[in-house]
Amino acid sequence: MRIGAFILVGLAAGSLTAEHPRSTYVLIANPASRVSKIDRKFLAEVFLRRATRWPDETPIQPVDLGPDAPARARFSQEILSRSVASVRSYWQQRIFSGQGLPPPELADDEAVVSFVASHPGAIGYVAAGTPLSGATVLELN
Amino acid sequence: MRFVLAVSALVLLAQRPAAAAGLTLPGQLAELQIHGFISQGFLLTSANDYLAHSSEGSFEFTEIGLNFTLPATDRLTLGLQIFSHDLGPIGDYRATLDWYSLDYHWRDWLGIRAGRVKLPFGLYNDSSDIDAARTSVLLPQSIYPAQNRDFLLAQTGGEVYGYRDLGAAGGLDYRLYGGTIFLDVKQQPGSPFTVVDLNVPFVAGGRMLWVPPIEGLRLGGSLQFLRLETHLLPASSSSSVAVNIPVMLWVASVEYTVRDLLFAAEYSRWRVRAQSSNPAMFPESLTFSERGYALTSYRVNSWLQAGAYYSVLFPNTNQRGGFAGRQLDAALTLRFDVNAYWLVKVEGHYMHGTAGLSPSLNGNRPLSSLTPDWALFTVKTTAFF
Repeated sequence: MRIGAFILVGLAAGSLTAEHPRSTYVLIANPASRVSKIDRKFLAEVFLRRATRWPDETPIQPVDLGPDAPARARFSQEILSRSVASVRSYWQQRIFSGQGLPPPELADDEAVVSFVASHPGAIGYVAAGTPLSGATVLELN
Repeated sequence: MRFVLAVSALVLLAQRPAAAAGLTLPGQLAELQIHGFISQGFLLTSANDYLAHSSEGSFEFTEIGLNFTLPATDRLTLGLQIFSHDLGPIGDYRATLDWYSLDYHWRDWLGIRAGRVKLPFGLYNDSSDIDAARTSVLLPQSIYPAQNRDFLLAQTGGEVYGYRDLGAAGGLDYRLYGGTIFLDVKQQPGSPFTVVDLNVPFVAGGRMLWVPPIEGLRLGGSLQFLRLETHLLPASSSSSVAVNIPVMLWVASVEYTVRDLLFAAEYSRWRVRAQSSNPAMFPESLTFSERGYALTSYRVNSWLQAGAYYSVLFPNTNQRGGFAGRQLDAALTLRFDVNAYWLVKVEGHYMHGTAGLSPSLNGNRPLSSLTPDWALFTVKTTAFF
């Protein structure tokens, strides 16, 4: 009975509250990639590691925010069409079957900006309003 | 004692706050990634022994994996996974190399892996050990039988793989492989034959998944050929019988993910021919089995998922009549994610039929003498990083 009540409360809570608060984000890339616009489908393939090179053959280095970052939740839903938890399940399958590794998860927006600015081929996203020193803003096609 | 150690390790792992461990190597080499998981489950059936001696309750349901992946260059990745498990009579906690590979990713549409590689069969075969990657405790056993893990999980050889962007038509994910399977022969208690040797001269096949422009949809097919060659020594004879078993398996798959809702369905047929050097001792046969399931799961929130599936198994399509010729499995699961690295699952199954049961686990009684309608209850907890 207690377990049943616990589950019902969980179902109700889940249906009433979102997984994360929503936040807008900005796409950024290393200036050396010389890209200013990116196709949404290609962006999804980059973060699922199906597309690994820029058109000039530079290796793409995608970088994620941590699983609790609001910008990560919005990026996952809008670009990957999955929740963060679903994306993490996808990577569990890939990692433990020897099919690949996920993009590194960095602690905060500043760490993502710093990584992208210092790694040619890097691409990431950060919460709107984050100072973008050294990184180029990408426009989504 | 081993169980206590496994549970202790599980608790320690579950309290670990960090994500995957990384080890920076000297020189220009990239960071070595270390990931792992440990699971402990419990099986209880209302009647019949399933997967383990479950009718009395069994904790013989343990999995431990540790993997090391080194992206040596932007095209070359080296990796291996050590795996140990126990599931009733199989596994026995022996540590094995689950997979190891040299992966050369030349282009997105063409890569090569050499080593021991997980078999891509259906949507989930290559990830069937990975509890954290799905909602249910047991994958539908009609297509992913845990008892056949040694046969169906990995092959030693090579594979080519790739992903091809098809523009407006979506994308194509493909894998083609060939190699062999090294099997550890284990005598089944009560079997009328002693297995002298058992070899798999080849296993070959492939999987193609089309990712159409409808978001979240995957459609695909897998095909696999393998040949088993064995010599069996009958209890009543001093000369062995050579038996060759060519097998062909295929599965058609569809999966649709929309936000936190997942639907999947698969249909499969397996063709097994037995050719014998002495049909009087070991009869020749040709058997077609039919398997399928439909599955759904829903992530309610960050810590709760619910899932259900219905799975059917007909090991011999010519003998569907009678409960020993089929196993119908209706399952319900709740998955609780305690945190990002620790989960607990509770699952109940209603089973009709005994075709998926092992006679050797059930006192070598004929399947037709076992209880036709029975239930399975299972709990499993997994920590991973």
